[in-house]
Amino acid sequence: MFLYYCDLAWRSIKKTPMLSMLMVLAISIGIGITITTLNVYKTMSYNPAGDRSDSINSIQLWSQGLDTWDDFQSNITYTDTINLRNNNELALKAASFRTGLAMQSDNQDIEPVLKSIRITDRDFFSIFEVPFLYGERWSKTVDSQPAYQVVIGEKLNQTFFDGQNSVGKTIYLNRKPYQVVGVIKEWNPQPKYYDPLNGAFNDAEEVFIPFSLTEQEEFDVWGNTSGWKFEPMLTYQDRLNSEKTWIQFWALLPTAADKQQLQTWLAQYVEQQRSFGRFTDTAKTPQESFQISDVALWLENNDVVPRDNKILVGLSVLFLSVCLVNILGLLLTKFLKRAPEVGVRRAIGASRGQIFSQYMVEVGLIGFIGGIVGLLWAWGALTVLHAEFNVDPSVTGLDTSMWIITPLIAISTAVLAGVYPAWVVCRTKPSVYLKAQ
Amino acid sequence: MLSMKNISKVFKTDLVETHALRDFNLEVEEGEFVAVTGPSGSGKTTFLNIAGLLEGFTSGEFCLDGVNVSNLSDNHSAKVRNEKIGFIFQGFNLIPDLNLAENVEVPLRYRGFNRAERNRRVESALEQVGLAARMKHLPSQLSGGQQQRVAIARALAGEPRFLLADEPTGNLDSLMARQVMELLENINQTGTTIIMVTHDAELARRAQRNIQIVDGQVCDFSMYQKAEQSVVTDLQQAAGIQQAASSNG
Repeated sequence: MFLYYCDLAWRSIKKTPMLSMLMVLAISIGIGITITTLNVYKTMSYNPAGDRSDSINSIQLWSQGLDTWDDFQSNITYTDTINLRNNNELALKAASFRTGLAMQSDNQDIEPVLKSIRITDRDFFSIFEVPFLYGERWSKTVDSQPAYQVVIGEKLNQTFFDGQNSVGKTIYLNRKPYQVVGVIKEWNPQPKYYDPLNGAFNDAEEVFIPFSLTEQEEFDVWGNTSGWKFEPMLTYQDRLNSEKTWIQFWALLPTAADKQQLQTWLAQYVEQQRSFGRFTDTAKTPQESFQISDVALWLENNDVVPRDNKILVGLSVLFLSVCLVNILGLLLTKFLKRAPEVGVRRAIGASRGQIFSQYMVEVGLIGFIGGIVGLLWAWGALTVLHAEFNVDPSVTGLDTSMWIITPLIAISTAVLAGVYPAWVVCRTKPSVYLKAQ
Repeated sequence: MLSMKNISKVFKTDLVETHALRDFNLEVEEGEFVAVTGPSGSGKTTFLNIAGLLEGFTSGEFCLDGVNVSNLSDNHSAKVRNEKIGFIFQGFNLIPDLNLAENVEVPLRYRGFNRAERNRRVESALEQVGLAARMKHLPSQLSGGQQQRVAIARALAGEPRFLLADEPTGNLDSLMARQVMELLENINQTGTTIIMVTHDAELARRAQRNIQIVDGQVCDFSMYQKAEQSVVTDLQQAAGIQQAASSNG
């Protein structure tokens, strides 16, 4: 019977093209707007860590003084970073911040380029499962004994080394030679969850160098540096010794026991640092002076999805509801016009359920067409957002799942709008219309 | 076959109660062709709606084909309508978007027949009414008489035990009305019970039995018809005897 109902629905739509078009238009505009905002929201709120979200954790410390910052800072100080790096209880851990250096190779034909660079530890590649094309990350010893080694991205490898295996070759960063130890495959998690602080939807870096080089190379910080008290910053050493926060710290904690162990360690660490005159906010207990954030919490704390965006999704759903009410009215008009036909069908044996199903299939079909047109609206709106307002393409790309979600939402909306009209029409008394026809 | 005992139907509003049928009693035997006449507003259509399970009634008992159908659920009523009853309406009530074959096929769809069975029955029904060659035409491409024949084919396709016809010739000219009536008579001869509401006295006379509904009650004129027939026969015989006597004399 479903195909029969589909056939009847299609005939009905063709029979009243203007009314059908109005309904499709109403539903498609509502869907178009909803899907546009939903798509942006979904892209922004996507957790790229997937099922490892709980295991990958960032550490924040309440190192500020009394009555200063109200919240935990996403970054920690260099002192705390070094102490955490020396915590041997952590199997996989990585400090990380962003800098920028001029990059060139021995090939004089290739112009030097200023590249955004990630300064980090070897475990960064394991924690975030960065895939390698050639070679591998630098050795464990490099994290403690600085060496001029570098991991580069596939595209850069193409530019500088024609895509050949460049492991062992040299590139120059601010004219200093670095030996390539690994080439990673295309890797660009969106949002850029390992560092959403400077553009959560910026591209991932393509150059990675050891954190252990920080002190001797005095890398600029291409990111936020926050302080809660006045400290002179005349030298790089002042930065390293200061209470300023500018480094993210990550650890892989696969089990609850690992997390518990780190919590114990951090509580002891805070007490120890207090004895050195740090962590001066005594209103906080040691247990309250640290925060371990898994990826989901980390993304939330860093406002990767702005509150405005959530409100916008709510408003668009509200708009869809208004469209739904309009469709309901149009459907009621359309269906009641066909009450005499329903009377005939009921007289010759159709049950109420069969009539109801027939009309629900019709509204479903209208919803489906509205969904397809709405998808085109959404695609157009996202293209305009990208082209006219320079919104990042990673946010304005139409998510693959939307091709399924959109028709489903459209059909559900139409069915919701159609329930009452279909119910009314299937309840009509056939005898009323048989004589009147 | 059809038995209505003390059926009453009351339409209530806030202000008035209207008795459409009161103490309505009727027995129709299998294979009968019953014509129902009566003045406008007498309750003919209400009777037909109740007989066709399109409407409920206020009190009484109604048995159809030996089954008490007084308190059937809506779905069960639809099933009985689909399987046992065929409807023919004054206004034909064909679905304008469907061609003839599709119109005739509608009740068969609801019965759940497969395509082959549906096709067989549609062809047979349309053949029976002489429209097999036009099964792809739309109702709007046919004359009124032809449309009514399609409606009859639709009623026949389900091979019903009853045909309920509500003024089947009301919208037709006399020639077409006679054709439709002949068709109904042929159908009746195959054993289908027919109850036909009509205003046309000539058509009513062609039925086996006439009942009249007056103020929601049945007046069965069969006995009067029989008495009238017997008086006519007696008179004819008397006239024949008299003629013979005078010729002898």
